[in-house]
Amino acid sequence: MRLADRRGARQFAVAVPFLLPSLVGVAAFLLVPLVIVAVLSLFQWNFLNPPHWAGLSNYVTMTRDDHVFHALEVTAYYVLWNIPIQTLMALGLAILLNRKLPALGFFRALYVLPYMSTPVAMAVVWSWIFNGQSGLINHLLLLVGVHGPNWLGSTSTALPAVAMVSNWQYAGYNMLFFLAGMQTIPPALYEAASIDGAGPVRRFFKITLPLLNPTLLFVLVTDVIGSFQIFDSVYVMTQGGPGSATDVINYQIYSTAFQSFNVGSASAMSLLLFGVIGVITFAQFRFFRSRTTYEVS
Amino acid sequence: MAALARTVKYVVFYLCLTLIAVVFVAPYVLALFGALKPASAVLGSSPWTLPHSLYTGNFRTILFTDDFVRYLGNTALVTIALTAGQVCFGVLAAYAFARLQFPGRDGLFSVYLATLMVPNVVTLVPLYTIMRELHLTNTYWAIFLPYVLGTPYTIFLMRQYFMSLPADVFAAARVDGASEWRILTRLVIPMGRPIIVTAALIAFVFGWNNFLWPLIVTDSNSQQVLTVSIAALQSAFSEQWNLVLAASLVALVPLLIIFAMFQKQIVRSIQLSGVNR
Repeated sequence: MRLADRRGARQFAVAVPFLLPSLVGVAAFLLVPLVIVAVLSLFQWNFLNPPHWAGLSNYVTMTRDDHVFHALEVTAYYVLWNIPIQTLMALGLAILLNRKLPALGFFRALYVLPYMSTPVAMAVVWSWIFNGQSGLINHLLLLVGVHGPNWLGSTSTALPAVAMVSNWQYAGYNMLFFLAGMQTIPPALYEAASIDGAGPVRRFFKITLPLLNPTLLFVLVTDVIGSFQIFDSVYVMTQGGPGSATDVINYQIYSTAFQSFNVGSASAMSLLLFGVIGVITFAQFRFFRSRTTYEVS
Repeated sequence: MAALARTVKYVVFYLCLTLIAVVFVAPYVLALFGALKPASAVLGSSPWTLPHSLYTGNFRTILFTDDFVRYLGNTALVTIALTAGQVCFGVLAAYAFARLQFPGRDGLFSVYLATLMVPNVVTLVPLYTIMRELHLTNTYWAIFLPYVLGTPYTIFLMRQYFMSLPADVFAAARVDGASEWRILTRLVIPMGRPIIVTAALIAFVFGWNNFLWPLIVTDSNSQQVLTVSIAALQSAFSEQWNLVLAASLVALVPLLIIFAMFQKQIVRSIQLSGVNR
């Protein structure tokens, strides 16, 4: 026992210099903040005056506050405009490029390109393209005789327009994961299916899609978590408007904390968002675990 | 006849690929066209057409007034510091988790993994509070400090890769009496180059693009980064598209250069980060 302790201590002594910086980082900037945010959610505070104990009142007000529910609703709509289209685009691109032909690497690079762009800068460019009077989209629509709406200024089109920017930016990035997943599927499976008379559509739904389940889970989980936290493009393109049409939860948390200086409410809201994301992530794992019955490596 | 049919099929296929590529590339090209025209032409009837002559006035206005060069420098400084720290400290931690034996290692690693579940926004208010208490708001430190000591995600990526390196090489080195430090610098870092480059790229893009945190933690001109200044410019001159487009391009160009230089590496590294889940 003694000996084991001493060996453990010696191993620690070796490991500590390697671990120390990241341990300090994780503790100070991730774990301690989690405790602080939970504590702050029980106070009323404006960053300046001494905080007042508020008990659970921040949470109680939140459940009665239409703003918070509206923000969650808007966020959910945003996710629905973002994730399905983006994932289908990515899958489609991967299907197109998953073959052995010349120059496909070049096209793959062009499709991934938007992933490398600064969201704030691209939101500016897209604001210009979506602009009601001088935007390219409405100009193109006019060529076929359609008067386009003021995309970012109308409550019905602002949210989908902002979501389209994410779809544009991340479709190619997600395509890479699907391509990698498709390349691990043994060609023999397709050959056998062809011999049995399965056409390309059937082969896709019976072989490719089931075997892509782990990839799909990874892509959906990471994308949904990111999508729930959309901020940059909303801040630049719409500031939550028009009205509150794009007032997503992350924007609401930001403005509650740093424009209204209502620290307690913002803390409670961010914990609510944490909970919502946790539940949805858990649900996705459950859904895919029940469907992934075999693995091919 | 069959050959003709196949040729038609190829032409249609590549035509599709090209059309899709246009959608992905067009915003960059259009922004460049717009940024190379004077204000009158951008507000005219077709601002997205190829400019007749190269008008650099917008870029000159952006770069030589309004401290934009300063913001560019701030962004570069903060991003490089963040990347260097995250890679160095991340490699150290990943090595410890992948190759060292010590009590509580796996428990500690699962704590790191669990933090991946925490959305960024949850820690924003407390991080800001911490920075205020430390009197670090409106400093460069505040912008990169939360990310400079290594992030669980890149540590996780590198640990997975380091674990996949052949074990007998390490055993042989230990038999030869090599210290852990020597094993790390002479074996792990050279052999782990692909994943280390991946981690560096992830850190750089994150640092360069980061917006919400610098927006919160700085409110003076002197530490402002590009993303924050572009957003400010956009709300101040929302109809002067020629200027905001030029400013946006200044932010985008470094990433475009990196992409052009490391294109194959980036594509492969994204796939590495997905496969190593």
